[in-house]
Amino acid sequence: MNDQSAEDLSLLETLDHLLDRGVVISGEAVISIGDVDLLYLGLNIVLANVDAIVRTARRT
Amino acid sequence: MKVVVIGAHLHRTDIEPLAEAVPAGALWLSGISVDDNQPLGDRDLLLRVANVRAALLERATFVAIRYGFAADVAKVTPYLAKWQQLLEAHRDHVEMTLKVAAAAPLPRPDRRDYASGAGYLRALHASAAEIDPRFREAAEARIGGIERRWTPRDNASVEMAALVERADVARVIEAGQSLKRDFPEVPFLLSGPWPLEVFADDHQ
Repeated sequence: MNDQSAEDLSLLETLDHLLDRGVVISGEAVISIGDVDLLYLGLNIVLANVDAIVRTARRT
Repeated sequence: MKVVVIGAHLHRTDIEPLAEAVPAGALWLSGISVDDNQPLGDRDLLLRVANVRAALLERATFVAIRYGFAADVAKVTPYLAKWQQLLEAHRDHVEMTLKVAAAAPLPRPDRRDYASGAGYLRALHASAAEIDPRFREAAEARIGGIERRWTPRDNASVEMAALVERADVARVIEAGQSLKRDFPEVPFLLSGPWPLEVFADDHQ
């Protein structure tokens, strides 16, 4: 894995944990960013993350 | 201004001066003040919160709260007793995450079939793919830890969270390298240490 792809994967993983992990406070509304709520932002990070894992695994 | 919460901590000194400390019963919430109009999806803000989160974990283990929650002590009050118990039990523990991409992902649910994002995510989890049982067995044996929990993430990956001693992180990383050597055909990512994310969340 080259440095750039490792850095990208690390960033995706960090954002995935920030957006899609931890305790969800009951009754807390999902906060939106424009028309995209954080739930979807988190989901996109998850999917991008898995794709990146597969790509980097193929390269190594 | 609002305080975007990062986590719940046992001590104020675990937080300051890295972040703001908001009293919540016997515990403290860590957070970062942002303007009310600040978009929470702003890349710089996300990276800033991520960096502070990592620095806080170096100080002490904390209960991670999902990004996007603005500090409101009344809303966290029902959780405080449980969080205190978790923090006292796991102060020297951190989570490590093994994310494994499935060899043959199942068909992904169609977003248009679901009325809500939460329903769509539940369907994604329900359609999660399986991974090679030999890899799963080896991962559990080598990573070890105090407790492990497998979570279907989506139709293309499965994830194991392991609760490990802080002093054990280097050994777990070495275990990940041995898995990479012995299972080169399995795409996976071992990451951490992380705060109490999976093991503090009843919904996982």
